[in-house]
Amino acid sequence: MAAGGAGGNSGGKTYSFKVVLLGEGYKLIIPPLPLQASFLTKKLNITGKRVNLAIWDTAGQERFHALGPIYYRDSNGAILVYDITDEDSFQKVKNWVKELRKMLGNEICLCIVGNKIDLDKDRHVSVEEAESYAESVGAKHYHTSAKLNKGIEELFLDLCKRMMETAQAEERLKGNGASQSASSRRGVQIVDDEPQATPAGGCCSSG
Amino acid sequence: MMSQRRGIHLDQSELLCKKGCGFYGNTAWQGLCSKCWREENQRERQKQIQEDWALAERLQREEEEAYASRHQKAQSQPTITPLNKFEERKTKEKSSKVNTVTKFFIPSTKTPPKKDAVPFDTQSSPSPSSSSSRHSSVDSDHATREFIDFLKPLKSGREIFKQCRAFTESMVYKRDMGADELSECVQDFYQNLSERLQTQFKGSTDHVESVMDEVEKYMMTRLYKEVFCPETTDDEKKDLAIQKRIRALHWVTIEMLCVPVDEEIPEVSDSVVKAITDVIEMDSKRVPKDKLACITRCSKHIFNAIKVSKKEAASADDFLPTLIYIVLKANPPRLQSNIQYITRFCNPSRLMTGEDGYYFTNLCCAVAFIEKLDGQSLNLSSEEFELYMSGQASPHWPQATGASSCSPGNTALNQVHKRLDLLTGLGERQERVMEKARQLESDLIDWTDEVEQKVQSVLESYPPETQNPTATTASGTTSTASSAIDSDNIENELLPPPLQPQVFAG
Repeated sequence: MAAGGAGGNSGGKTYSFKVVLLGEGYKLIIPPLPLQASFLTKKLNITGKRVNLAIWDTAGQERFHALGPIYYRDSNGAILVYDITDEDSFQKVKNWVKELRKMLGNEICLCIVGNKIDLDKDRHVSVEEAESYAESVGAKHYHTSAKLNKGIEELFLDLCKRMMETAQAEERLKGNGASQSASSRRGVQIVDDEPQATPAGGCCSSG
Repeated sequence: MMSQRRGIHLDQSELLCKKGCGFYGNTAWQGLCSKCWREENQRERQKQIQEDWALAERLQREEEEAYASRHQKAQSQPTITPLNKFEERKTKEKSSKVNTVTKFFIPSTKTPPKKDAVPFDTQSSPSPSSSSSRHSSVDSDHATREFIDFLKPLKSGREIFKQCRAFTESMVYKRDMGADELSECVQDFYQNLSERLQTQFKGSTDHVESVMDEVEKYMMTRLYKEVFCPETTDDEKKDLAIQKRIRALHWVTIEMLCVPVDEEIPEVSDSVVKAITDVIEMDSKRVPKDKLACITRCSKHIFNAIKVSKKEAASADDFLPTLIYIVLKANPPRLQSNIQYITRFCNPSRLMTGEDGYYFTNLCCAVAFIEKLDGQSLNLSSEEFELYMSGQASPHWPQATGASSCSPGNTALNQVHKRLDLLTGLGERQERVMEKARQLESDLIDWTDEVEQKVQSVLESYPPETQNPTATTASGTTSTASSAIDSDNIENELLPPPLQPQVFAG
């Protein structure tokens, strides 16, 4: 990974986030990679904080719907894409939102994405309806066009910021990370950069 | 009365001490009475203590030598260490098959005793079941040595090693705990250690990860036997269940799963075979990371197969069905145990966000899909599904189901015809072979008859010169004949004495 940057620790924390892509529509917005497009990691720098983003593609066919929980377990964010010319795809997004809120509560940042805004003349899902729905479930709505490469960069940057806020709020809630509970272990991993006043042998307080 | 109520009958003799001393035995003491058990146990314990000492001394020496050489190196030419480290890591990757040994360390004489969590007394007290694994300690020593070598260039390598050792040893005493609690212990240890390492390495995540990989390797190599498919869980039952299930699903075809893979292309079928091999190989690895590497390799082959078949990059929509197909074809051994083991004891960060974790999750999905699979998920009616599952019909046998699976049926039918032709051909050849064999048999019989006749005729023309034709009939005459032979020997006394063996100095 970023072996070069290992020495220079300018301070701050490194966040690791897992984002799942659910439903069938998202295939439209992620440009396929030359080798494989089902898993990718991105290293971002957002307001001076390092973020490792892992994006998980999931099988979207209806018969694999029941496997959803295995995929979105422990994820920090979910991207749900619908086609603005297809009312049915918006309905599917609603189903996913219901399921995610039920299973993961408010810890997961939801992005509802209306894709194909280049085809606005064929729009079947109104902007007002989609945005008000997103607001009602605590999600954020985005407009994108994969064809014109519009809005996708913003979507990921915004999602990262929101996930960082969620992680920081959780951190504050837990105190200063002195005693992280077991439940947080598989969640966000926060790496402290501040050198604590411990000599080399400081990690040996066994017994 | 008692035995009747419990529904079992126990003979009184079965309750007695197995040594036959007349006292009652106890199953906790392997059927011995307390006195015999103490004697037996004492002997074994003595032996093990001695073995422990020998081993511990040897390793202690090695450890000290290793540190001594490290210090020398560090003083003379410090630039050489990273190179060494690289080479060590390279050799390490090659040898991953190592056995578990429970414990064999004693605190070093250099170390202040308060730092060591486990006092020597408890380490050397043996438990009967651990004695068997003791013999395979050579491999485990190897893992330990590699770990020490890896930690050598690190500032706090010694401390890390001591902690891991103490923790691994303490785990052995927790083997009666449930698998989830064991997992919890190991995961807590991982977390605590990685937090401290992060402080120490000032946030260099990559460095921390490489150390944690080695820690995982060292610990899980030694704990594998204790924590893989432990008796406290029903992992084994689940293994058998999924194995049976996959076997029952042998009839599932590529078309039913909508797998976008064309096995007619040589490169594709090659990738499929490699993927199957890799997923089967997973069971032979000990360290969770190595097991994950097998899954990742398998997945890469699958991606390659899809890419070549479709001539475009694969998405998860293609990948998951193909993985399911591969799992169905491979029927990997101890699948559930391996999944559970990885989930419980792998480094959490890798499982959560890493690429390995992604493929592992897909494997979990594939297994969940196979478990819950029904007709609907294969685009079959439930009747068809039941027929196939019960073995009354097969999609390869179009007579049974009619036109439902036309295209795979046709190719299957062609194959059946080809094989039938082959079978008739083989039958004819066998007929011919049998005929020849019969011919040979009669020839042989004729030949033996001929030989017999010849011998007979020869015997008749030259009758053997039996001096005494009555010898065979009367026993009395035979005794006289033998005495006559004896008397003949008297004349032999005139012959020179037999040669005596002589000894030659060689």
